[in-house]
Order: sequence, then structure tokens, then C-alpha cells
Amino acid sequence: MLAESLVTDVLLAALSTGGDFAEFFMEDTRGTTLRMLNGALEEGVSGRDYGVGIRIFQGFRSVYAYTNDASRNNLLKVAREAAAALSGAPQLTEIVLNRLTVENFNPVLLEPGKVAHSDKAAVMKRAHLAAAGYDDQITQVSVSYMDTDQNVLIANSEGTFIEDRRVRTRLGINAVASKGSEKQSAFRGPGRHMGFEMFEQIDVEEVARDAARSAVTMVNAEYAPSGKYPVIIDNEFGGVIFHEACGHGLEATSVAKGASVFSGKLGQQVASPLVTAVDDGTIPNAWGSQNVDDEGTSTRRNVLIKDGILQGYMIDKLNARRMGMEPTGSSRRQSYKFAPTSRMTNTFICAGQSTKEEIISNTEYALYARHMGGGSVNPGTGEFNFAVAEGYIVRNGKIEKPVRGGTLIGQGSEVLQKIDMVASNLATGQGMCGSLSGSIPTDVGQPTIRVSEITVGGRKEAN
Amino acid sequence: MEIHEFRNRVFAFGKASGLEEMEIYFSRSKSFSTRVFQKEVDSYNVSAAQGVGFRARFAGKVGYAYAETLDQDSVELLVEGAKANAQIIDSEDEIEFFAGSSSYPEVIAYNPDLETVSAEDKIAFARELEAEAFAADERVSMVNWAATGYSESEVYIANTKGLEESFRRNGAYGVVAALVREEEQVKNGRRIVFGNDWSLFDAKKLAQEAVQEGTSLLGADSVHSGDYPILLRHDVAYGLLETFAPVFSAESVQKGLSLLAGKLGEEIASAKVTLVDDPLLKNGGASAPFDGEGVATRKKNVIEQGKLVTFLHNLKTARKDGVESTGNASRASFKSPVGISPANFFIEPGEKSFDELVEALDRGIIIIDVQGLHSGANPVSGDFSLGAYGYLVEQGRVVRPVDQITVAGNFFKLLAAVEEVGSDLQFGAPGHQGHIGSPSLIIKSLSVAGM
Repeated sequence: MLAESLVTDVLLAALSTGGDFAEFFMEDTRGTTLRMLNGALEEGVSGRDYGVGIRIFQGFRSVYAYTNDASRNNLLKVAREAAAALSGAPQLTEIVLNRLTVENFNPVLLEPGKVAHSDKAAVMKRAHLAAAGYDDQITQVSVSYMDTDQNVLIANSEGTFIEDRRVRTRLGINAVASKGSEKQSAFRGPGRHMGFEMFEQIDVEEVARDAARSAVTMVNAEYAPSGKYPVIIDNEFGGVIFHEACGHGLEATSVAKGASVFSGKLGQQVASPLVTAVDDGTIPNAWGSQNVDDEGTSTRRNVLIKDGILQGYMIDKLNARRMGMEPTGSSRRQSYKFAPTSRMTNTFICAGQSTKEEIISNTEYALYARHMGGGSVNPGTGEFNFAVAEGYIVRNGKIEKPVRGGTLIGQGSEVLQKIDMVASNLATGQGMCGSLSGSIPTDVGQPTIRVSEITVGGRKEAN
Repeated sequence: MEIHEFRNRVFAFGKASGLEEMEIYFSRSKSFSTRVFQKEVDSYNVSAAQGVGFRARFAGKVGYAYAETLDQDSVELLVEGAKANAQIIDSEDEIEFFAGSSSYPEVIAYNPDLETVSAEDKIAFARELEAEAFAADERVSMVNWAATGYSESEVYIANTKGLEESFRRNGAYGVVAALVREEEQVKNGRRIVFGNDWSLFDAKKLAQEAVQEGTSLLGADSVHSGDYPILLRHDVAYGLLETFAPVFSAESVQKGLSLLAGKLGEEIASAKVTLVDDPLLKNGGASAPFDGEGVATRKKNVIEQGKLVTFLHNLKTARKDGVESTGNASRASFKSPVGISPANFFIEPGEKSFDELVEALDRGIIIIDVQGLHSGANPVSGDFSLGAYGYLVEQGRVVRPVDQITVAGNFFKLLAAVEEVGSDLQFGAPGHQGHIGSPSLIIKSLSVAGM
């Protein structure tokens, strides 16, 4: 993308006022987004994001600047402007960059840029037909298609000089079911860190029908009952509970400043002994995987909790300084417009010993959350909330009836302790996670689990 | 390359490539932000960025493309990208490129004085936020946010029908959040200020309010589940309004995604509710003389004393409904296709102060924050079920803080159940979906889940 000599000069300019570390992040991203409503392709947008972010550390201080203008003169100007935020004599006057070759474990077979738009539209049409044809109560189907091809150059004053490529593809299906004046919608959004070959691996019709089934089930469901009672959370996207309730609290962003309920608890029992959880950015072609993180550190499998004991955090370079620990390959950002920080990649609770059937048949009364919506957490207090997109009441060991509109609230650390059954059916789902360094693709996952009690916000039956 | 030169090259190359009509939407921004942690400048960010969105008609259909560099590569990328995207469109919607309104309103949203506030002054403000928060109460265990920022932006729109308009605005914010601790309980208090008059930014007041809110929540506990009369504080009320604002978009209505379809002229809210969209508001966070298609903006009531008066339109939806555009075409960014959003969108304030509303509530719950608006609220059905906290009110007085509850209801039913509208109109963060405001509202009843 750029010559080492130019990058070296920019890094040295950034360090001219006493900074002890400088980083250069350049991005050239091409992408396409298509939208289809009720079978008609309505919008097509394609484009190119291009820019450079420069970051400087001085101790725990950090300075970040970005620009779209990658000319030599402008980059040097931006580096000096950023450096002006610090003061001191230069500590580093020579940088030797070592070009490293990235080991690519996320192969791309069909580059999205080389696939005709009409082929992309054809996949969307298949999804539309499958969902629309599922049931008469389906009144609307919208389908989106997205691909991005991000090329990055990451260099720093420690000598790192790495180029990496991230190709991602995602399909989104939103089905709306109507009954009288009521409407309920359901979303499915399979995505992978790969090219158009994704559609050889996922069953587009099956996913679309599942969205339709969920919307129809919910439009015919009554409201979930309120109260504090057991909740069974299904696998795949159910893992959003761990992501929200615990994952964010294990990011160095909140741990380093002591702002997390998990600060200072390494080696302590923070979860039920049934819980082992990892964040693994190395799963080939998974949605949240990357060969290297956005600081150029190789991604890895980080065990967060083992048998209920807290083992580690997700750590970026800056917070590694604060914590006196090593970075864990967890530093990510939406684009050059964001300074990177510790984030999740593919985060999940590992498989346990039970089966889903055993969990249901051993439960007297519970809310069974078959599909979760999104959620959020306040890492400082650990309070989380999330929406149950598709729920059922389990009574006397059997699924009794569907219920809608439930919200789960609670304290992340408490819920972790209350997990009393874990099935073996680990699976993952895809999401976009928004936080300090922007919106990034992450996988969530878990097997089916049971929590002995959670506060369920619902509603009494409307009379 | 300079933007006018770039525009000329794109239009010339596009014409040679067979494009029938073309439009560029260019935006340029500068920003600064800084955060202080434990008296040190923890982060310091500066940026200068630009981008150009392009749309063009080819064989009757419209496609989009965008780029962030103004060079010859981008000229080709935009023209070829938009052409390829136009070729797969099968929607029959007619999209108009607008030649321009006969006149545009005078709108002020740029304050030159704000530009002169130095980085040192902003850092000093953030330092003061942190120091004042610690000084406000000894139970403050951490000030997890003490930050301030500034941004200015300029948009320029031009098309082959002769439209050429530009506009710029600037603004700043200050934010403080503190954790307060008493025994094992940790609570969070937070305040944000937005605006483009720096002289109104009062660090001490902001920090004290944030801390006071945090400490007021210590000792919170849940309540018994049931239906309660509710006072939604202004920030909770505008949060809900922002979440459900898409139901007022004609696009949602036409696509069958709004339950307000067919309700024009009907009573959809309590007679106390008047909902206004005012793009002309002086220094409003979403003020602008023209919208995302270059149509002149204007002030209008969307709900007038409970009655639904109009939906929000752009040119495409207006043509479908046989009405005039309301000037609400939006471009969330230069990358985004034309959509619809409100500008400065707010419920008109009433007479009663917040304290008078508490008294009028008599018995119920004041909600001062909700969590999960992006996940626990469904803009299609209007249903919401959200984590919440606030205070329990008995005999017109706050008796204790409340947490670990959820509050559930339906936005459309809520509009009809507004019993009182306060005088304390406040706006949230200006965003891509407009700048949304509300006074505090008393709602007849919502379903609360707790113990």
C-alpha cells in the first residue's frame, strides 16, 4: 500500500515530541450493500473507504488522529499535529520496520468484487421466496446483502509492518408476520469471514424459512409473564447473554481502570463450575475472526473462564501497559476513523455434558428463549438487559406455548453463578457489536443453558 | 482535487458513460475530542475527513456509489459503481433529481466563536468535570468519563438539474459519568451537554448533577410487579420518541412497517400531545435550510393536539401519496442512500415543572433511565420491554430509589395515555436520525416487572 520509508518518516514525526510508541493504520476497503423489499431490488450502494489513522502513546496517554489524505505531506502534517498534544524530547530517533507475512487462515475462494451483482441479487431472491412462501401470515420480507473487502497496513515503532486482508459476507433476512393490526418481525443474519462461497456453505432457504417461522410463531403468541423464574437459553445467538452480561466486563477497556465488576478477580470463582468460556479469533472463516488484530498482533484463543474460575481478560496494547499484562490479540476497530481497543472476536461458552432434551424435560417451569434479540450492559455496574425474540413457556418438562415480548434483566456476575445446566450443542450466531472503537463483526455462541432464575420483564395478558 | 473540479469531472465522465442524471452529495468534517482520567489527558483525538456520495440514473433506474478520496480513480469508481448498481434495480419507484426550491430559509447552526475555543480550554473543561465530580461527594469511587469534543461539518449537494447548495454547522459536547459506591452497591450517574455556545457549558453544575443522580440511586431496590402510573423523565421520553420516530416516516407507512398507516386526520395521541418537526430552530442539532435531496425545509406539526396531521416525506414518498415533500429527505452519511428522518423533532412543552409533575403523579414510579432501546423495542409493533430504574413516588413525594425492574408497554398506547406534559423540554444527542427532544411526561400506566 505504502512504502516502508514513508511510514517510517510518519512514525518518527509522530514521536518527535516525546511519545514512546507510534502506530500507523491504513485502510482501503471496498464494499457493496444491496437491499431487496418484497422481492424487488430497491437499493444498491458500492464504495470505497480509504484513510489513515495515526496513534501515539506517552505512558498511559494516547493521541489519535485520522485523515483521508494519504499524501506524504499531509501524513507528516497530521503526525506532527497529533504529536503537538504531547511534550518532551524525542525518545526514539530510529525505527527499523520488519515486513512480516501474515499467515492467512481465512481463505477467500470467490472474491466478492469479482462476483456479478446479478448473482448476489439471485441469492437474495431465493431468500425472499423461501420466507414469503412460508405462510400466508408473512406480509413482508426484506433481504439485505453485504460484502466488504478490507485491506489494511499496520505498522508501529516497535518495527511491526504487516498487511492483512479481511473479506466478509453477510445476508440479512427480516420477515414480518401480520395478524389483524398486529405485526411481529424476526431477523436472521448469517455471515462469514469469507467471500461469495459462503452461499455454498449455508442453506439460504432454510435460514429464510426459519425467520418466517419465528415471526409467524410470535404474531400468534401471547405476552410473556413477568417475574423471577428459571430461563432456558438456546444455543447459537443465545450466546449474546454471555457477550453482554460478561464479555464486555472482561474487556481491558473497563478492567484496566477498575471500572469492571471483574477487575482484580483473576483466579477467583466468578461463574458456576459448569462454565468454561473462550474468545477465539482464530477459527477459520468465522465472522469475528482475523489473522491479526487491528494493532498487528496475531489473534489467538483466549480462555476467559475455566470451570467457573476467571482465567484472563481481552487486552489491547494501551491497556496492557496499565495492567502490566501482555496484549491478547483482541484489539479491534470499525475503521481508520477509530482508535482500536480491546474487543471480542468469537466469544462463546463451551459445550457441557447435558442434552437440550434433558434440560427441558428436567424443568418444571421456565421461559425457554429459543432465539435472543440484542442487548446491552453497563460494565461499571454489570447490569444487563436483553430481549427474547422468540420465547416459549416450559411446564412440567414440556414446551407448552410460545410467548413474546420478554426482556431479561440482571447482574452479569450473578447470572454466571446461576447457570445450572449446560448442554453439548455448542453453536454460534453472528452479530455487530457496538462500543468505543465502533461497530465490529463478532460471533456469539453457546450450547443450550439453563439459568436457575432471571428477572423476566414481560406483561400480564392484555384483557 | 477540489470539490467543484471533481464534480465537473464526474458529471463529464458520467455523461460519456451514458448516465442520464447525476447528483453528488459531499460532506467534510473536522473534529476534536479529549478525555481526562485521574487528572491526566487520557485520550486526545483529532480528525479531518471527507466523503462523496454519488447517485445516477441509468436506463431509468438509480444506483449509488461513494468514495473518500477526490481523485481520478474515484471519478471512475463512482460512475462505474453507480451504473452497475442501477442495472440490477427492479423497484418501480420513481426517483426524482430535484432542480431546487424557489427559496431557502435562513438557518443558523454555525457559531464562529466555538471554533476559537482552544484545545487547552477544552482539556481544562474535562479536568474540571473530573475534579468537580470527585469534590461533589466522598462516595464517588471513580469518574469513568470526563470528556469533551467539538465537531464542524459542511455538506454540499449538486446535480445535473442545476441544484447547488451548501451548509455548515458546528457543535460541542461535554460528558461526565461517575461511579458512586456505598458498601457493596455501585451506581452510575451521568450527564451530557450539547450545543454550540461554549459559554453555557458549566462543568461544576454538570458534574454535581451527575454525582447527585448516582448517589440518589444508592439503596435502590426493586418493586412488586404490577401496573404503575409512570413519570418518564424528559431524557427517557425523548429516547422512546427517537426509537419510534420511524413510524412517522411515509416510507415506513408505504412499506407496511408503520401501524399509523391510514390514520391521517385521526386522534392517535392524548390531546395534550403536539409533536413538532422544526428544521429552522436556531442552533438546533439538526437544523438545515435544505434536506438530503436539496428541498427547502420547513417547520410543521406532525401531531397537533393528539391528531395525526402529516407523515414525514421525501420526494419519492410524496409523489406516491400525491403530496408535497415535507423536506425530510435524509442522508445518514455520504455513503447512505436517500431515506427519511425528522430534523429537530420534539413534543411541545406544557406548563408544569418537573416537581409539579412529581406531585401530580401522586403514587407511581419516576423512570430516569431505560436500557435496551436498540433491542427491547420493536418499531413495527410499537411494543417495548426495557430495563429501567428511577424512584418510587408516594403521596406526591419521592420515597426511595428503584432498580432491577423492567417497564413494558406499547408506544401507540403510550401516546394516547399521556396525562401531563411538563415544561422541561430537553434534547438528546444530535444524530443521523435527527435531534429528538421531549419534556417529561406522565403516563397513565405501564406494566412494571420487579420482585
